[in-house]
Amino acid sequence: MSSIDLLPPLLIAAPILAATLPIALGLWFDRTGWSVAAATTSGLFVGAVALANEVYTGENVIHRLGGYPREYGIELVADEFSMLIVLLVTAVATGVLAYTRRGGPRGNTFYTAYLLLVAGLLGISLTGDVFNLFVFLEISSIATYALVASGDGPEAAVAALKYLILGTVAASMYLIGVAFVFMATGTLNMVELAAAIPEANATLIRAGIGFMIVGFAVKVAQWPLHTWQPSAYHRAPDGVTPLIAALVSTASAYAFGRIIVTVFGVDYLAAVPNLAPIVLTIGCVSVLAGTVLAVIQTDVKRMLAYSSVSQFGLVIAAYGVVVAGESETALVGAVVHLVGHGLLKAGLFLGAALVATSYGARTVDEYAGLAKRRPFVAGSMAVLLFALVGVPPGVGFVGKWYIALGAVESQLWPVAAVIFLSTMLTLAYAARLLEKMYFTPSAPADASRPGPAATDGGTADTDAAAAIRGAGAADPVSIGMIAVVVVAAVAAVALGFAGGTIADLLEPFVTEVFN
Amino acid sequence: MVADIRPLAAVLVSAVAIVLIVASHRRPNLREGWSVLAALAKFGIVVSMLPAVMDGTVFRWSLADSTGIEFLAGLDFALRADPLGIFFALLASFLWIFTSFYAAGYMRGLDEHSQTRFFASFAASLSAAVGIAFAANLVTIFVFYELLSLVTYPLVAHNEDSEARIAGRKYLTYTFFGGGVFLLAGTVMIYWLTSLVGEPTLAFEAGGMEALAAAAQAEPVYAQAAFFLLIAGFGVKAALMPLHSWLADAMVAPTPVSGLLHAVAVVKSGAFGIARVILEVYGPGLIYDLPLDVPGIGEVGLNIPVAIVAAFTLTAASIIAMRKDHLKRRLAYSTTAQLSYIVLGLSLLHPYTVVGALFHIPAHAFAKLTLFFCAGAIHVETHTDYISEMAGIGKRMPLTMAAFTIGAAGMAGLPPIAGFVSKFYMLIGSADVGGSYWLFAGALLLSAVLNVGYFWPVVYTAFFESEDDHDAKPLLEFPAGGLGQSYATEDDVAADGGRPTDGEADQADAAAGDGDTAESDRVAAADDGDYEYAVDEHPSDADVPGGEQVSAVDHHGDHDDHLTGGPPADIWQRRSPFTESTWLMLAPIAVIATGAVVLGVGPDYAVFLELATRIVEEVFGMPFEELGTVPFDELMTEVNE
Repeated sequence: MSSIDLLPPLLIAAPILAATLPIALGLWFDRTGWSVAAATTSGLFVGAVALANEVYTGENVIHRLGGYPREYGIELVADEFSMLIVLLVTAVATGVLAYTRRGGPRGNTFYTAYLLLVAGLLGISLTGDVFNLFVFLEISSIATYALVASGDGPEAAVAALKYLILGTVAASMYLIGVAFVFMATGTLNMVELAAAIPEANATLIRAGIGFMIVGFAVKVAQWPLHTWQPSAYHRAPDGVTPLIAALVSTASAYAFGRIIVTVFGVDYLAAVPNLAPIVLTIGCVSVLAGTVLAVIQTDVKRMLAYSSVSQFGLVIAAYGVVVAGESETALVGAVVHLVGHGLLKAGLFLGAALVATSYGARTVDEYAGLAKRRPFVAGSMAVLLFALVGVPPGVGFVGKWYIALGAVESQLWPVAAVIFLSTMLTLAYAARLLEKMYFTPSAPADASRPGPAATDGGTADTDAAAAIRGAGAADPVSIGMIAVVVVAAVAAVALGFAGGTIADLLEPFVTEVFN
Repeated sequence: MVADIRPLAAVLVSAVAIVLIVASHRRPNLREGWSVLAALAKFGIVVSMLPAVMDGTVFRWSLADSTGIEFLAGLDFALRADPLGIFFALLASFLWIFTSFYAAGYMRGLDEHSQTRFFASFAASLSAAVGIAFAANLVTIFVFYELLSLVTYPLVAHNEDSEARIAGRKYLTYTFFGGGVFLLAGTVMIYWLTSLVGEPTLAFEAGGMEALAAAAQAEPVYAQAAFFLLIAGFGVKAALMPLHSWLADAMVAPTPVSGLLHAVAVVKSGAFGIARVILEVYGPGLIYDLPLDVPGIGEVGLNIPVAIVAAFTLTAASIIAMRKDHLKRRLAYSTTAQLSYIVLGLSLLHPYTVVGALFHIPAHAFAKLTLFFCAGAIHVETHTDYISEMAGIGKRMPLTMAAFTIGAAGMAGLPPIAGFVSKFYMLIGSADVGGSYWLFAGALLLSAVLNVGYFWPVVYTAFFESEDDHDAKPLLEFPAGGLGQSYATEDDVAADGGRPTDGEADQADAAAGDGDTAESDRVAAADDGDYEYAVDEHPSDADVPGGEQVSAVDHHGDHDDHLTGGPPADIWQRRSPFTESTWLMLAPIAVIATGAVVLGVGPDYAVFLELATRIVEEVFGMPFEELGTVPFDELMTEVNE
C-alpha cells in the first residue's frame, strides 16, 4: 500500500525532475531530449496504469505531502474521476512522442517544456487543493506558451503572446475566485471546502464562483473568450498541437468539473440563482458558435481548433445539466466526452500534422485526393471525424448519448435540442474534409513530391521507395507517425464499446457526488 | 430465446469480406469472388435459422452475455433473429447474391474506377442492413442505421464529380438528420420514458413495449413526440415526403447501388424501422389509444398523421414520376411512392393491411430490383438514360425489356405479379375498417392507375414505337393524348459516342430514310458540343435548387462518353435475348423477374407471406384466421392488454 501511496507525488515530480535532464545532458549530447521524454512518459503511463488499477479495484489513493494534515497541508487525490484524465494525459503524451521523433520539433529545450507541460497537467488532475490547482494551471500554461512560441514565424510569437495575456488573465480570475472562497471559509483543501462552503458567507462564495467560471471559460476556450485558442493551435509546431489540443483545455475542463462537483457540490450550486442557466448558455452558445466558425475555416488545423470550442461547449453544457437537473448521467457524459474528445483531437491533429509534414498541405482544399496517397492516414482521420460527429460505435457517440440522456431526463429541452443538432453541425465541417479526401481528385500540381506519395502503411513499396531515395534524404514520415494515428482511430472505436464500462468505473464517484 | 452466434455471424460475414475484398484489390476476379462468397454465406446463415424461427424460436446474441461488455450503462448491444428480423435479412441477403453478379457485370461493362472501394462499401452496406434487421433494441438499430448511412455515402459519391459530391452531401445531410438527430432523440426519449415507470429498456417486444405503454399513460405528450421523432427518423430513409428528395439525387450512384440499396436495403431499412416502431415499440394498441387532440377535428389516432403523409407521398411521388424523362429518376420517384405503400399499410394498423405492408417489402424489392437492373443493362449496353430516347429499344434488348414489363406490372399491382398480393391485402384491410379509411383505399387505387400511367409509356415506346416515329415524352409535358412527333430524334439526339458496334451501320442506311441529312446534323451538333436535352427544355426535371449541372447529363459515371444515348446513328440492332448483354447481368435480371412472378403466383409457397402472417399473429396475439373476424376497435383494445 505504501508504494502505491507514493505514486501520485511521483507522477508529478518525476516529469519535473526529468525536465531538467534534456538541458543538463544537452551540454554533452545533441539528441537526448526525445529519449528522456520517451522514457519518462512511458514510465508515467505505467505508473498511471498501476495507480488506476488500485483506484478502480481497491479504493482511492490519497497522499498528504509532507504528512501535514489536510487543513493546511496539500493533498494529492487519485479517484475515479481524476484517474481517467491521468490515463488520458500519460497515454497521449507517450503517443505524441511517436510522432515527434521524426516529425519534430527536435531541440532539447522542446522536450523540457514538453515534460513540464505533462507535469502541470498531471498536477491539475491529481491535486486536492484549490490553490495548488492554480499553481499547476500556471505551470502547464507557461509550458504551453513556450511550446506555442516555438512554432515557425512571427505568427507563432503573436499567438503565444495572445495566449499568454488571456491565459494569465484567466488564471488570475481563478485566483481571485479562490481568494474569495478562502476569505469565506479559511481553507483551501477541496474536501474541507465542500464541508465549509454551505455554512459560509453566500455573497463571498458567489463572487468566488463568478470569477472562477469566467476564468475557466477562458481556459476551456468558450465563446466569446476562445480567441486565444485557434491561433495557438494553428501556429504551434505541428508536433505540439496534438498534445495541447488533446490535453490543455481538457485538463482545465476537468478542473472546472472538479470545482463544481467536489468543491461547491451540486446541491449548493443548484441553489445559486441563475447559475445553471448561465453555465448552460455558455455551453450551448459555444457549441453553435464554435461549429459555425469551424465550417468557414479554410485551414484544417484552425477548423479543428474551432471544433474544440464547440466540443468543449458540449462538456460545459453537460456540467450545466449536472447542476440544473442534478443529473448523474450528464456527469458521466461530461467525463466520457472529455476523455473521448481528447483522444479524437489528438488523433486528428496528428493526422493533420502528418499530412502537413509530407505534402505541406494545410488547407481543406489541399487535402484533395489524400485517400489515394495515404490510405491509412485518410482512413484513420475519417474514422476519427465520424467518431467526432457522434456516429456509433465511436467514443464521441458514447459521450453524446449520456449528455443527451441527462438533458432529456432533466427535461431541459432546448439543451437537448442543441445536443442533438450538434451532430449535424459537426457533420457540416467533418463532411467537408471527408469529401475532399475521398471524392475530390487531387490537382495535378500536388503531385510535385513523388517520393512520399508512394509510402504509406509500411508495405513493400515503402522499403523500395526509401531505398531509391537513398540514405541521405530521410522519409519525413515514419511508420511510427502513421501507426500512432491508426492507433488513435482504433482506440476511438474500441472505446465506443466501453460506454458501460466507463460508467461502471465512475459509479462510486458519481454516487458520492450525489450522495 | 436461444443464445446463438448466428445473428452476429450473419452481420459480420460481409464485414470480413470487406477485408478480403480490399486485400485482393489487384485481382478483380478474386475480389468479386469474395463478394459472391460472402453473399452466399450470409444467405446460408440466414436460411439456416429460418426453419427454427418459423417454429417460434428466437435466436439471440448479446454483447453483454457473450463478453460481459456493457455497451452503454443499462443497455445491451444485442442481435435477435425473430420473424420480423429474419424477414428483412432473408430478403436483403437473397437479393445480394444476384446483385453481386450483376454489379460485377455492370462495373466491368462500364470500366468504372475505384471498383474495390465500391465492392467493399457494398459489402459493408449489407452488413449494416442485416444488422438493422437483427437489432434487438432501439439503440442497436440506431448503431446500424448510422453505419448504413455512413457506408452508402461512398457509393453515392462514387463518381467523384461535382454532381456526385452534391448528391453525397445531400445524402449525408438527410440521413444523418434522420438518424443522428430524429432517431437518436426518439431513442433517448423512449429510454427516459420507460425509466419513469421502472427499469429503463429499449428492447423490442412484439405488440409493443409494456413499460412504454405504462409510461405513455403518465406522459402522453412526450410519448407522442417520441413516436413522431422515431417515425421521422426512419421516414428519412423510407423517403416519406418532405424528406424524400435525397433519393432521386442518390441515383447518380452506379445502378447496382440504386437497385439493391436505394430500392431494397437502405430505403427498406427505413420502412423496416417504421415497422419495428409501430409493431414492436409502441404496438398498434398503444398507437390507437394515444389520441392526438387536433383543434377543429377532435381526437385522432397517432397513426392517422402518418397515414396521411404516406398517402400524400404515394400520390404526389407518382405524379412527379410521370414528369421524369430520366429512367432512373422515374424509378426513384416510383420507389418513393412504393415505400409509402408500406408505411401506409403499417400505419393503418389493421392486421390485413400490416400483412400487406410487410409482404410489399419483398414484393416491391423483387419488382423494383428488376426494373433497376434493366435500366442499368440498358445503360451499359446502349448508354441510354432517357425514356424519350428509348423508342424501339425492345428490338435491341428484348429480354431486358420483357423483364422490365414484368417489374412494371408488379409496381402497378397487376396480377399475377407479387405487387398485387400485397395491395390486395391492404385494400381489404382498409375496407374492413371502413369510415375514413376508404380514403386511404382510394389513394391506393388511384396510385395503381398512376403507376400504369408512368410505366406503360416506357414499355410502349420500347416495343410499339420506332426510332423515327414516336411520341414525345414524358407524356405529361405535352398536350393530353400525346404529341405525334418526337423532339428526341428530330435533330438534337445525342450523337453516338463511339460504341464499338458501329460496324453494322450499313444495313440500316435504307431504313433510316433521309439519314444523310440527319447524320450531318448530328455531326454538326457534336462539333458544337451544343446539345439540348429533355431536361434542358423542361427544367422541372432538374429539381435541385440551383443545380443546373445536376441531372442535366449523364448520371452514371462513364466519364469519357457522357453525352451519348438514344439509338445509334441508324437504328437499334435486332438482337436475340441471349446476345443482348453479358450473362452476368442477364441472369440476375431473369432470376429476379421470375422471383417477382413466383411471389405473385404462389405467395403461400414463398416463405415471405407466411413470415408476415406469423409476425402479425405475434403482434396481435391470436391466429391469423381469427383476426379477420374480430372487429377493428375490439382488436385494438384487446391487443393493448
